[in-house]
Amino acid sequence: MLSLLRILKFSLQDITRNIWLSAVTVIILILALFSINMLVIVKLISDTAVDAIKEKIDISLYLNPDSEDNEINALKATISNFEQVKEVEYVSKSEALEIFRQRNEDNPEILQALRELGKNPLTPTLVIKPKNLDHLDQLIHQINKLDSEVIDSRNFSDHKTILERINSVTDKVSQAGLVLSMIFLLITLSVVFNAVRVAIYTHSTEIAIMRLVGASYYFIYMPFMISSLVYTFIGIVAIIAVFYPFLSLLQPYLEAFFVGYNINIINYFNSNFIIIFGLEFLGIALINVIASFLAVRRYSNV
Amino acid sequence: MIKVRNIYKTYHPKVKVLKDLSLHIKPGEFVSIVGQSGSGKTTLVKSLIGEEKIDRGKVIIGGWDITNIGRREVPFLRRQIGVIFQDYKLLPKKTLFENVAFALEVCGAQPGRIKKIVPHVLRIVGLEDKMKRYPHEISGGEKQRTAIARALVHSPKVLLADEPTGNLDAINANDIIDILLSINRFGTTVVLVSHDKEIVNRLNKRVITIDDGRVISDRERGKYII
Repeated sequence: MLSLLRILKFSLQDITRNIWLSAVTVIILILALFSINMLVIVKLISDTAVDAIKEKIDISLYLNPDSEDNEINALKATISNFEQVKEVEYVSKSEALEIFRQRNEDNPEILQALRELGKNPLTPTLVIKPKNLDHLDQLIHQINKLDSEVIDSRNFSDHKTILERINSVTDKVSQAGLVLSMIFLLITLSVVFNAVRVAIYTHSTEIAIMRLVGASYYFIYMPFMISSLVYTFIGIVAIIAVFYPFLSLLQPYLEAFFVGYNINIINYFNSNFIIIFGLEFLGIALINVIASFLAVRRYSNV
Repeated sequence: MIKVRNIYKTYHPKVKVLKDLSLHIKPGEFVSIVGQSGSGKTTLVKSLIGEEKIDRGKVIIGGWDITNIGRREVPFLRRQIGVIFQDYKLLPKKTLFENVAFALEVCGAQPGRIKKIVPHVLRIVGLEDKMKRYPHEISGGEKQRTAIARALVHSPKVLLADEPTGNLDAINANDIIDILLSINRFGTTVVLVSHDKEIVNRLNKRVITIDDGRVISDRERGKYII
């Protein structure tokens, strides 16, 4: 108990009497933690972007214009019961025309052609949103098996190509993000690792003196380890204090960019607070403890 | 008290520093070990405090064979031998009191004992009124006296002084030697490693001369002969 109290005393003395070195170490930790949290944001944004793209994927099943409502509703119910289907939306002939007009409001030639046609050339449609794009093949296969006179056209050949392209792009984005994150994380951790080693290097003479007057390895090492944990704790508290205002500034820009999509970065950090900051504390503390252990071991070899 | 038998030490690749060196220092003696730079004096001191392992031979301190001392045992050896150096080796961020107290704290001394012993040893070396100062706030002679106070807190049977006056002017150097003589009078064995001819000659005590890693002279009332 006495030894523990003395170790705590030496650690706090070391932090306060080397206040500039302590400040620099904490600032490096804050920068490192800021970088790590930026990676979390980038990951969240890329996931949201990928989800947004995938959300846009749907299958349009064109129906016979003369179909009765009850037939259409029955078909809709059948498809809705498929395991791979998330949602089925019925778009009537007139709705389809309205959507077509809106999409082409800047294209007077097309609108003119539509007027000259004199009738609605579009067919009613069932817009099917799949639950999981990975199982789209199965869904198409099931739809192709449907035997209903209501269905006018079921040509989905383009979907597969487009989907493969989208999956390829999103997979590459995810892989590149992961590789970049790992590289960035390694650089950040090596910066932290070396910052602690440099901080302890400045104590190398003191470590040798401690050893000289009969301090055990434990007695030399423990104050540095405690200091490292204190630095890590201060760093985490500081990054929480700094990062939330930063998130508040970022949130409106993200909302403007992802209009219509639910992206709330503050809520994300709130709901994952313990995981994000807890893991960061554990990770940085572990790196600090290892760096302290190696550095003290090296300089205490007297 | 100190028995060194036929020790050898070679630094890589082929620098032979100690060559069949032997000496025997009895309890309560004041012995000067002299020799030119590179003669092997410092390596001898390092081998006596477990800082340097010898290649061959035997080193015994107070009946403890430290020839193959383990890493974990070194702190215990250091608590039994007082050591002072030319560069004082004080902790710069600790006050004089804390520097001296540190040697007691690391071996688990009770706070009451620390509060009693530290002012006492600082009084012995004449620094009782400067115990709250930091090393950069005192002179070289005072730093060395602090180092001596630190070496004394464990009441060591042996005090090794490796060039303790090397960085001091004549007046401060003589003060330090007088303190070492006082410590010796109370029964502590003092080993003074020095190449200060005047000091060694003034002492008129036993002088062991080392040259090229060997003892070339050992005289009861010796002089600096190199």
